[in-house]
Amino acid sequence: MISLRGVSKTFDGKRKVTALDHIDLTIAKGEMASIVGPSGSGKSTMLNLIGGLDRATEGEVELDGQTLSSLNDDELTRVRRDKIGFIFQFFNLLPTLSCLQNVSLPLHLRGWPRKKVEDRAKELLDLVKLGARIDHLPDELSGGERQRVAIARALSIYPPILLADEPTGNLDTSTGAEILKLIHDLHSRLGATVLIVTHDKAVAESCPRTIHIRDGKVFEDVRR
Amino acid sequence: MILLRLISWPYARKHLLRVVLTMAGIVLGVAVFVGMHTANQSVLAAFHQTIDRIAGSTQIQVSSGEAGFEEDVLERVRALPEVKAAAPVIEAAANTGQGNLLILGVDMLGDRSLRNYDLEGTDDAIDDPLVFLAQADSIIITKPFAEQRNLAIGAKIPMRTMQGDQVFTVRGIMKPGGLASAFGGSLAIMDIYAAQKVFGRGFKFDRVDIALEDGVSIDTAITKIQALLGPGFQVEPPSSRGQQFEATSSIYALASNLTSVFALFIGMFIIYNTFAIAVSERRSEIGILRALGATRGQIRTLFLTESAVSGLIGTLLGVLFGIALARGMAGYIGGLLSEVYGVAQGASEVNPEPWLLAAAVVMGLATSLIAAVLPARSAAAVDPVKALQKGRQQSLSDGENRTRRRWALACAVASVIAFLFSNVGWLFYGGYMLAILTAVLLSPAMSLWFAKALRPILAFVRPVEGTLAADSLIQSPRRTSGTITALMLSLALVISLGGLARASYDSLNDWMKIALNPDLFVTTAESVTARSFVFPASLGEGLRSVPGVAEVQFVRSVRLPIKGTPIMVVALDIASLERHAKLPAVEGDESTMYREVAAGKGVIASENFARLHGARFGEVLQIAGPAETLHLPIIGIVRDFSDQQGSIVMDRATYIRAFHDDSVNVYRLYLSPGAEEAKVRQTILDTYGHTQRLFVLTNKDVRDFVNRLTDQWFGLTYVQIAVAVLVAILGIVNALTVSITDRRRELGVLQAVGGLRNQIRHTIWMEAVAIGIIGLGLGLVLGAVQLYYSVEVARRDLIGVEIGYAFPFQMVFIMAPIILGAAFVAALGPAESAVRGSLVEALEYE
Amino acid sequence: MSKLAISLLFAVTAATTLAQDPRQIIAEVQKRQNSASQRYEGTLEVIGGGNRVATKSWTYLRLGSFGDSKARLEFTAPADVKGVGMLIVNHADRASDQWMWRPNIGRDQRISLQDRSTRFFGTDFSFEDLEERDVEQYDFKLLADEGAMWKIESRPRKKSQYTYSYFWIKKDNYTFQKVESYDAKGLVRVVDYKDYAQVKSIWTARTTEVYDMRRNSRTILKYDKLDYNLPIKEEQFTLQALRRGL
Repeated sequence: MISLRGVSKTFDGKRKVTALDHIDLTIAKGEMASIVGPSGSGKSTMLNLIGGLDRATEGEVELDGQTLSSLNDDELTRVRRDKIGFIFQFFNLLPTLSCLQNVSLPLHLRGWPRKKVEDRAKELLDLVKLGARIDHLPDELSGGERQRVAIARALSIYPPILLADEPTGNLDTSTGAEILKLIHDLHSRLGATVLIVTHDKAVAESCPRTIHIRDGKVFEDVRR
Repeated sequence: MILLRLISWPYARKHLLRVVLTMAGIVLGVAVFVGMHTANQSVLAAFHQTIDRIAGSTQIQVSSGEAGFEEDVLERVRALPEVKAAAPVIEAAANTGQGNLLILGVDMLGDRSLRNYDLEGTDDAIDDPLVFLAQADSIIITKPFAEQRNLAIGAKIPMRTMQGDQVFTVRGIMKPGGLASAFGGSLAIMDIYAAQKVFGRGFKFDRVDIALEDGVSIDTAITKIQALLGPGFQVEPPSSRGQQFEATSSIYALASNLTSVFALFIGMFIIYNTFAIAVSERRSEIGILRALGATRGQIRTLFLTESAVSGLIGTLLGVLFGIALARGMAGYIGGLLSEVYGVAQGASEVNPEPWLLAAAVVMGLATSLIAAVLPARSAAAVDPVKALQKGRQQSLSDGENRTRRRWALACAVASVIAFLFSNVGWLFYGGYMLAILTAVLLSPAMSLWFAKALRPILAFVRPVEGTLAADSLIQSPRRTSGTITALMLSLALVISLGGLARASYDSLNDWMKIALNPDLFVTTAESVTARSFVFPASLGEGLRSVPGVAEVQFVRSVRLPIKGTPIMVVALDIASLERHAKLPAVEGDESTMYREVAAGKGVIASENFARLHGARFGEVLQIAGPAETLHLPIIGIVRDFSDQQGSIVMDRATYIRAFHDDSVNVYRLYLSPGAEEAKVRQTILDTYGHTQRLFVLTNKDVRDFVNRLTDQWFGLTYVQIAVAVLVAILGIVNALTVSITDRRRELGVLQAVGGLRNQIRHTIWMEAVAIGIIGLGLGLVLGAVQLYYSVEVARRDLIGVEIGYAFPFQMVFIMAPIILGAAFVAALGPAESAVRGSLVEALEYE
Repeated sequence: MSKLAISLLFAVTAATTLAQDPRQIIAEVQKRQNSASQRYEGTLEVIGGGNRVATKSWTYLRLGSFGDSKARLEFTAPADVKGVGMLIVNHADRASDQWMWRPNIGRDQRISLQDRSTRFFGTDFSFEDLEERDVEQYDFKLLADEGAMWKIESRPRKKSQYTYSYFWIKKDNYTFQKVESYDAKGLVRVVDYKDYAQVKSIWTARTTEVYDMRRNSRTILKYDKLDYNLPIKEEQFTLQALRRGL
């Protein structure tokens, strides 16, 4: 379960910017929700806080009963490593590594034995239907294929929570639909909690729950 | 230029540390250049000032090398109508109980028409001139000297003279300024006839100082006096006395020039590196500018201007740093003077000359601009459309690599050709440059190859971190090749300098084993090179009769002008030399040459004399003494390290004939078998020690002294090594700092997908160490080549001796941990900044 | 006497009778103080100019008359200059030869012509002032008849540190009273002759005072035990004799 209690995030610059303003939100285990809102509404910030990439200025973010603010950087990394898979708009694959290596990376970082890592990575690439391209470098793949590699990487440890930031934002409509379908498939097959930040109305409406954020506040919370 | 302010300045401000590190090469290169030359010039200027002060109104000086001449020369010169005043001088350094002093022995009666003795308390020279003249122990010191040591009129200054220990009485104190400022006040005046006795000069003068009648031109007078006295005398203006020091210091200047060039060269690669990265980093910015209508030319100009500005700032910092450096080095160089003149010359003002500043600016700017040419060109080539797309990388094009390899091949071929014809000077230096250029052009390809070779090793050590580190190196040669090249060049410099030093020590030791093999040396000073005091020949006869002494060599060494430079001429009994210390001939017939030199039919020249002064085997040298001008052919060339400028060995009898000088600088003593060194030494000291100034040095003393001198000479080398290592380390820090910024996003991803901070750190550390290893590897290879060329440069233009090639493995053992350690330390900062930054920003970073 | 010379200092001046031509006046001065030899013991004292020059004593010997005389002096006090001697051989046609002997150094040393303008051992007169001057080497002009004294200008024909001098000579006994010497920049030295007394009928000044105008210092020389025409041997006036001392 993900729960946000009175979470605020402000950025101190020349002008103080409030990205999130006392948000209270609960997302149940296994739920799949989309987060929508205009540019700068704070939706990505919310995702970053939930994913432990950033810390809240105020309030508590809790993952399965664990309060993130009480953790130090390495503990936070361990939470990420064990619980969370990230999917980014720009894929964020390491250009120097092959598909297999990219997917293996989180497993290596957890210190898994080489054989086990390889088996799991291959399994995942099969899952995203890239089993045939395991030795290709990201540069040699199309946008959709890259995002699938990124998804495979995000799933490498079968995380209970999958966070996707504009997963289709950098893809054409049909590829986007394909990726969305993949995410839905994985959700139903793996039962992970999935949060998707998106601009795309179609993507948002495909999820059973849509949270609208505006000016750092939950503006509307729709369950279908 | 508005672009510079709007675009470049914010970027520079954001990457201030990097900008500073980038300029480090230029700062150091310029600093060494400005520092060394300023120090040199300042000391030289101060020395010339000293010469001027000592010279007073002297217009012409007459000398006969260091051999001195008989007193009648004075009257002969005085008799010329052109001469208004002529005064005899003995100038020698002495270690008194109150510190080192340059003692000027003058004729107090006549000297004041040449020199102004501005005395304390009275307007007169001395409290009581008659007392000064009547008493042989009279001495005048300077106010600064007196104040430092709390001496007043009547104070006693003990001195070991050639007539035993004497106590001198201060009978005058010169006011500061003028003559009293020469050598910073470490100057004393004594009656010349008293000085003759103190320094063992017999009835000889070192010099006659001359002032001319009004309206007589110096050139006319020189011609006239030279004609009167003959070729055995040097008739010169006082200013030419700086010659020998200039010759010595010019060697240091050449050596330091090499360091500056290297530092700048290394700096050039660091700048290239930074700019290359800056261009890839600012690609989107360039894209926007281009999209907004900037032309390719404007982009190129922008980058070149940036580099010019940073080059200029670096130069400025370098000049400031250099001036500071010069203040330190001035003392060191001034110390070198004490080897030559017995008294250290301090430099009161250390300021760079305008031409030096101009040269520094030109060097700094050129280095910076050349380094930026390629990055500026690739910046201009950025395609605005591609640049504006996020997340796409532009990598080093294969074309660029190919061109580079082709050029490398061409350079390699040309350098080999030049090597084959390297007996021609410019071809040799050309080949040297080409060899370095080849290495530089090849270094990206070599680093790539090295990195690939390292990958499995690194992956074995740490599967994830190692692989990531190696891949980072392999994938971004642009990011690291400049650093590796810089590191390679630094190491090559270090290896060559170290090898040179090592080989020099070895050759020197070989030489010492033969040339410095006497058991005891009887000298007039603690050092064997001091020549202020001389012994009478009669002492030698006495030494012969000391029990346990088998043989005594009478050695007279004087600097005489040969081929226009003051060259050390060593006159001694050649037959004895052949028996005991026969150096192997580099040229000439060993079996006959000593005999012929002994017969006065020729001289033996040192290898460095021949090399540095362009003398050939068989060439007839003119050695002019007051009594006779000798024309002696070089009938043998040996490897001899007696003097940096080279030396000539001749027969003592021949020397005495030409110079009427039978004095002795050093008695070299060989003991009979079974004789106890300590006992003989004590006997000599007991017999002669209290009646005259005399030191008995053992073989070990002398060798230690020579080793100390060598250390001093190589002191500068170690400074150079330190500079090279420093620049290399700065290069690594720079490369890693840049690498971290460049890879922020990648590192962010790593952390986002679960990389612990330590894992990130390890990756960066390994990358740094890998850079170190690659640089080390390439540096060792280039160092081996560079050492060869250095040995050649030393042989041709620096010391004139073939010192042999010996790869300094010891140096490698020292340098490897230093470089790797430095690489590691250099990685600490960047690694921390990589794990400290905001992940969110890193992931969005572009 | 065709070759006449005057010595301003150590050779003490005497006086004679009247004449009107300046050269004749000078000649008369010379004639009146002519003697075959002379001996005295002198002392000198330097006053003013911030000097710390000790009072010194010496013995003086002269043999021969002006123009080809030889003279010796040897310092007798204080102790640290005792034994320093000088030998002066005057020549009628050229500058004198001068040597100095320093027993502590063990060297005799010729005093070069170039050095003659230097001050004599910290006193107010120069080595040149020790020479006898050949009358033929000077041009004289009678400048004024000041009643009891003549004022005569003397200009050297040869190189000298002075460009001209004024002599004041007393008419009644032909004695020098005062000499002013000038160089290009003005007055250099003033010599006053005092305490005249007749010794063996030669009018002799017993005290001379030399003023150095530039240094504002004066040296007073006093002559004692003065005597003329003593039996002095020629051998006394050689370098060897100088080394032996008086």
